[in-house]
Amino acid sequence: MRRRRALEIIGAAAGAPLLMPGGAVARAVALGQRIRAVTGPVGDGPPATLTPAQARTLTALAEVIIPRTDTPGASEAGVTAFVDALLTGWLDAPDRDRFLAGLDAVGRTARAAHAADFADCTLAQQTALVARMDEDLDRLRRDPDEDERGTFFHDMKRFTLAGYFTSEPGLRSLGYRIIPGAFEGCVILDQYGTGEGRPGRQRRPRMRPGGER
Amino acid sequence: MSLAPAAGRRQEVWDAIVVGSGITGGWAAKELTELGLRTLVLEAGPMIVPERDYVEHVPPYRMPYRGWNDRKALAAEQPVQRECYACDEMGRKFFVNDIENPYTTPDEKPFLWIRGRQVGGRSIMWARQSYRLSDLDFEANARDGIAVDWPIRYSDLAPWYAHVEEFVGISGRPEGLPQLPDGVLLPPMQMTCVENAVKEAIARDFGTTRLMTIGRTAVLTRDHKGRSACHYCGPCHRGCRTRSYFSSLSATLPAAEATGRMTLRPDSVVHSVIWDPARGRVTGVRVMDRQTGQDLEFFGEIVMLGASALESTRILLNSTSADFPDGLANSSGVLGRYLMDHTMSTGAKAKFPGWENHGYTGERPNGIYIPRFRNVTEPSADFIRGYGYQGWSTRQGWSRGLDMPGFGAEYKRRLTEPGVWEFELGAFGECLPREENYIELDPERVDAWGIPALRIHCEWSDNERLMMRDSADRAAEMLEAGGGVDVELLTDLTAPGLTIHEMGTARMGRDPATSVLNGYNQAWDAPNLFVIDGAAMPSSACQNPSLTYMALTARACHYALWAKNRAEL
Repeated sequence: MRRRRALEIIGAAAGAPLLMPGGAVARAVALGQRIRAVTGPVGDGPPATLTPAQARTLTALAEVIIPRTDTPGASEAGVTAFVDALLTGWLDAPDRDRFLAGLDAVGRTARAAHAADFADCTLAQQTALVARMDEDLDRLRRDPDEDERGTFFHDMKRFTLAGYFTSEPGLRSLGYRIIPGAFEGCVILDQYGTGEGRPGRQRRPRMRPGGER
Repeated sequence: MSLAPAAGRRQEVWDAIVVGSGITGGWAAKELTELGLRTLVLEAGPMIVPERDYVEHVPPYRMPYRGWNDRKALAAEQPVQRECYACDEMGRKFFVNDIENPYTTPDEKPFLWIRGRQVGGRSIMWARQSYRLSDLDFEANARDGIAVDWPIRYSDLAPWYAHVEEFVGISGRPEGLPQLPDGVLLPPMQMTCVENAVKEAIARDFGTTRLMTIGRTAVLTRDHKGRSACHYCGPCHRGCRTRSYFSSLSATLPAAEATGRMTLRPDSVVHSVIWDPARGRVTGVRVMDRQTGQDLEFFGEIVMLGASALESTRILLNSTSADFPDGLANSSGVLGRYLMDHTMSTGAKAKFPGWENHGYTGERPNGIYIPRFRNVTEPSADFIRGYGYQGWSTRQGWSRGLDMPGFGAEYKRRLTEPGVWEFELGAFGECLPREENYIELDPERVDAWGIPALRIHCEWSDNERLMMRDSADRAAEMLEAGGGVDVELLTDLTAPGLTIHEMGTARMGRDPATSVLNGYNQAWDAPNLFVIDGAAMPSSACQNPSLTYMALTARACHYALWAKNRAEL
């Protein structure tokens, strides 16, 4: 309710002079249309780096990690397009190649065990394969002599979580509103906003993708 | 707004030229034009139009990397700027290109120089915390017998603090502390449940010497002078179309424009000030057009440098003549010396179980503040001066899922719930003015406009290191008192510069032999030249400095007109 009201208020007028004198604030913002004008939709079109087979595996794998429930899952939230964007322009070549090799390995494992691509396995088969990867990851995580970061499934979970929880449905599930309209410091739980997934936090983001700085 | 002609006309002499359009340049523009002076504002960077350029409402799913930044572009173009949290995927356009704007340091003395070159300067991305200094700070150098005494005291600046606060709009709570004078304050923002608990614990266990209050921030909690109250969207550093936080673009430049006496010329890289040896005055500035490379000159009765501490001093160092072979207004030889920044990033953080049923709505563009108590109410045997804490509490979000085993529907459900409360206290510590911390022109490197780059020599001293180690222990004991567990000490100091409170290098003082400026930010050597930004600071105090720069600027402008009318400029 609050967000809609704020949008209505702020969207009431458009257009503003170069440097506005005070008093004309309401004219400054025409929110919805302008957001679209600034940046177009992200992730439309076919993958730039993933092969069709890799994209199928990735989509199915992400959906096992974050499945559709009463809210959309990773697939519907566009995680595949996000990961493709990371592979295309964000990751350094060795990290990209390691991730793609891991993805191919998932495909091989599925075919060896079930004579089917991962995406065509039954949900029970997919779940068992993912459970094994997650157990391996957890073992590395618990071992003080090992570093789980940089392994395929660690990246896979990291990219899936980020891709999902920064997507429109993912953010909606967190209660994200572009314009909250008020700050209430101490409220009961069902009105919380964690701010996670929002790049505009007032300090360094808690989760920093490994090694980009 | 009128834009100056492409070429400076020799005949045209402005009443005043202001170099820089950031937090001090904007104030000079407003004050001078409102006092009746025809003022030319020169800005090195491009025009910024909020309705076109501000990006605070772009949601993550409209960003190619969802807020994870274009890391390859950052590495290639902004390897220094990216160290600042605000140089993010959408906000990085407000930070300079490090390749075009180089500087050098000795290998063993890293310094992170974070810069914004555009109309509005860094007032677009600043963190907005606004605190007054007190006589504890203005008397500090004299008391300790180091550097030079401030030429002013709190009573000189107090009315000017009020003057700027009344216009800026600063929210906060009056606390009646002598070391952190109350100002003209709008209603305070709220604390979270956990912050309230820690505040009460501090009052209970440390109440005779310490206090926690809500941060004082230049963000409106109610409509103010035609600007709208904050709507708590969060990413202030990417701009604010509702003008809810103070910046030159949101407030001072529009006020100057409204007088009809301001001319703003973006894309004007000032490389030196013109000195007239016959008159013993400055007559204007030399400029290179940022885009065309054309050399221009502009002339004015008064020149005010507000290009940021290091840029203003760089311009003076680059303004050499027979009278001033080592830089304009440098007869004292201290120009470039006594560089300071605040220390940052030490303190403590802790988890606060037991508050799972409590949360908050919206994104507060502010945190809590614990005013300085070291060497105020709690003496230290190990160091002089002190620090204040800024702090914030949040609940862990979905990223904790990466440290959890699991996947599937239940995993997803758990991650849509907020995690445990965390509360971090980060100290901002005073840095002593030391002659060994200085800037000079690099003999070899130049920037993209052929202007000599700076070579910056700066490092922390033992006083800062001891102070910041102490800040970790004191923070931990307060968090523990409030019920914090898993307390983690934060003891790693970041490199100087990253706090982005760099100041000094053209200090004010009482003696022309040991200072560059007098108590009105006026150059001892050139009566119609003023340096109005952080370069003027003889000591750093520990409070966020922008409010003090604004007050000093307003005061300098009024003094300049008074002196001009007495034919003293």
